[in-house]
Amino acid sequence: MEATVKDQVVSAEKPQLEAPPGWQPVIMGILCNWCSYAGSDLTGTSRTQYPPNIRIIRVPCSSRVDPWFIIKSLQTTADGVLVSGCHPGDCHYITGNYYARRRFLVTKKLLNFVGLHEDRVQFSWVSAAEGAKFAQVVAKVTGAIRKLGPLHLYKKENRSQ
Amino acid sequence: MILSSNTNTNEMNLTTYITDPAGLEQFYSAVIGAYETYGPVETFGKFEFRKITSLAGCNPDPPILSSMSVKALFFPRSAKVLRYRTTSSGTELSDTAEDPLAGKRVILGVRHCDARALEVLDRVYKWDYIDTDYLNRRANTVLISTRCDQAAAHCFCTSLDYDVEHLDALDVAIVRGTDGKIYLQARTEKGEQFLKQHPPGPADAAGTSAEQLRKQYVTFENSFRLKMNYKEINGQMQNKFESPAFEEASSTCISCNTCAFVCPTCHCFKISDERIRDEGVRYKSYDSCNNIYFTLMAGGHNPRPVKYRRWRQRAMHKFVYYKERFDLNLCVGCGKCTVSCPVNISIFEVANRVAASMQ
Amino acid sequence: MDYTNQIREIAARLLSENRIDVFIGYRKTGFDENHLPAFITHPNATGDLVFTEKSGFNLTNYLKFEHTRNKRVGLVVKGCDSRALNLMLTENQVKRDHIYIVGIACEGVVNEQGEKAQNCLECVMPDPVVHDEILGVPSGKRDYQANSDVKELWQKDLAERSRFFEEVFESCIRCNACRHSCPLCYCAKCCIDQETSTLYHGANTTSSAFHALMTWSLHLAGRCVDCRNCEKACPSHLPLHLLHKQNEQVIHEHFQGHLAGMVAQDRGAFYKYNLNDPDDFIL
Repeated sequence: MEATVKDQVVSAEKPQLEAPPGWQPVIMGILCNWCSYAGSDLTGTSRTQYPPNIRIIRVPCSSRVDPWFIIKSLQTTADGVLVSGCHPGDCHYITGNYYARRRFLVTKKLLNFVGLHEDRVQFSWVSAAEGAKFAQVVAKVTGAIRKLGPLHLYKKENRSQ
Repeated sequence: MILSSNTNTNEMNLTTYITDPAGLEQFYSAVIGAYETYGPVETFGKFEFRKITSLAGCNPDPPILSSMSVKALFFPRSAKVLRYRTTSSGTELSDTAEDPLAGKRVILGVRHCDARALEVLDRVYKWDYIDTDYLNRRANTVLISTRCDQAAAHCFCTSLDYDVEHLDALDVAIVRGTDGKIYLQARTEKGEQFLKQHPPGPADAAGTSAEQLRKQYVTFENSFRLKMNYKEINGQMQNKFESPAFEEASSTCISCNTCAFVCPTCHCFKISDERIRDEGVRYKSYDSCNNIYFTLMAGGHNPRPVKYRRWRQRAMHKFVYYKERFDLNLCVGCGKCTVSCPVNISIFEVANRVAASMQ
Repeated sequence: MDYTNQIREIAARLLSENRIDVFIGYRKTGFDENHLPAFITHPNATGDLVFTEKSGFNLTNYLKFEHTRNKRVGLVVKGCDSRALNLMLTENQVKRDHIYIVGIACEGVVNEQGEKAQNCLECVMPDPVVHDEILGVPSGKRDYQANSDVKELWQKDLAERSRFFEEVFESCIRCNACRHSCPLCYCAKCCIDQETSTLYHGANTTSSAFHALMTWSLHLAGRCVDCRNCEKACPSHLPLHLLHKQNEQVIHEHFQGHLAGMVAQDRGAFYKYNLNDPDDFIL
């Protein structure tokens, strides 16, 4: 039985941390059903290419996104998180995204405060008609995370390595 | 270097060495240089046991009120039990890596109550299931004490069922004599061999140390605010299960897990499987009987949802149940639970109030 | 600041008139000058009650269901405590007619060394915002001050901050005393303790502490009143106020100067919105 001893070497957030060869960033995408998810669907049907690193989860509204989901994603396999919702004023549930953007701001600042680079967690407003924008957003976020390298800070350790 | 101590203390020839503060520091440095050493290191104003490579940053004699116990080096806060991987043909189990706590090591700054706690825990780990990991760690460790000179506000070790003055749960005891000299006393065969290899100063051939140590102990014993008769407590508490004093005494408890986590003798644990997709690790981590969901079973039934009953179970376990089974109190009188409790509930007070209450 | 006699008199009156079942206040430890929470159920026992600048613990924590289920409670609250109480009332955790609130116009509490607590030096509201009776003279709302420790940490770069917080999370023993001592953490079973969930991480590792403390502070954001119960409860002495004050600052700066619990029936910051909330950080 192996104990987790409290005197480990610190693994501070460093860009260009040894990314293993062939490493691909894993981005957790949390998209609201009515706008962003539909928008991403449009990207697909328009045959617009975007980096395949994003794993999409559909939620009814961006305000469903508990900061807990973002933290869990970063703690497990994600190197970055993208949360996307409807533009303010266009929320299917009228006011959901107004509440959401408050949470987003506080979450982003707190994660930066504890040592995660601010590009690790990003947010966007993508409407159902903005297929092209979705592709651009994903490309931008993936590029930023690729530059930052794999996330090691605070990662849950339960792989064989 | 380390031999097992299974000889009768009375027949052993155990040596006391005499040195001074400078000599003691040299002794510590020599030990740190020669062995894998752990000692109390300050983090956020309290002292935790961590691996040390020099005396810098380590205080082998920290203040009692800000010391954590040494339990985590024998019963870790979180330990990996096994690894698993689910495949299309089933689940593969594999062993975890080498235990980083299993090697031969020396621990500096072990309080008497902590050492006694390990002795008390040994019984349960050798009982119905032999916990080889724990026993291995115990066998591979040399315990060197702090210089407990004066009791802190919540200490009551001298009131319990062990001889603090001659405690042989420690391998090496360090005492500051009333004459200003430092005495290092081997308490076990293991300690005797250890000090022979690293003599901190001249051995006390003339036998002058005994008087100094006795004098120091008397001063130490008189510094206790809290004293009780444990036999009375053991006897009285057996009949007081229905006492209303439990509810009164635990009314301000907030059922956090702190007392059990910091207690050097508490040994309850929970198992959790943590996985990412198809790979996972099974962890064994601390648990506390004061937790509202401690007794929660699959299916949803929870036999102890009421706060005072959980507190009652805890107090009874410390002074009645463990005593009945192993003839040892599970409490060693260190006071850590009281110091760490957010509302300073004192198990000493609870035990005394219950014992004194009418049924 | 000494309201010992008044508190004793009020408690004795309320208990003997059978207006409450239990009075929650402070008592001395019995061997030093520090104060502990006390539950008094009998009018003759009110002589144990005290109130001075040593009375730090936020007693509204005991209004949670498991402590005073369905009882009528008399309670002593200071400024910050009363803000927490306001939020508990707004969030329907307590019935207003089940509690009798003795409010203290607070002059600040001191720690065990006798120094004024940091949150008292930065206090925005020393007066009770809800009360049935008030002791002391209200001095009014004060200007919001940014927490000095948070400011200091922001001076450091990302790598230094991550090293600092890694140290913090490593020292956490996952005892959950912080949650249990916080009046606004009243969930019957915390979301992160749901063992059946794949999001559960009950082991005590740096990562699980990061997950627990971050989730906790974000669920508390906009509702935390800076009473420091959590920090005083923590056996590892973690500087938990850093997380909460950081959130409070962002909320105060960007969301119309919102502060938790200042006004009756006012919900936490995340339960409201303004059409002008900033979203220039959103792509």
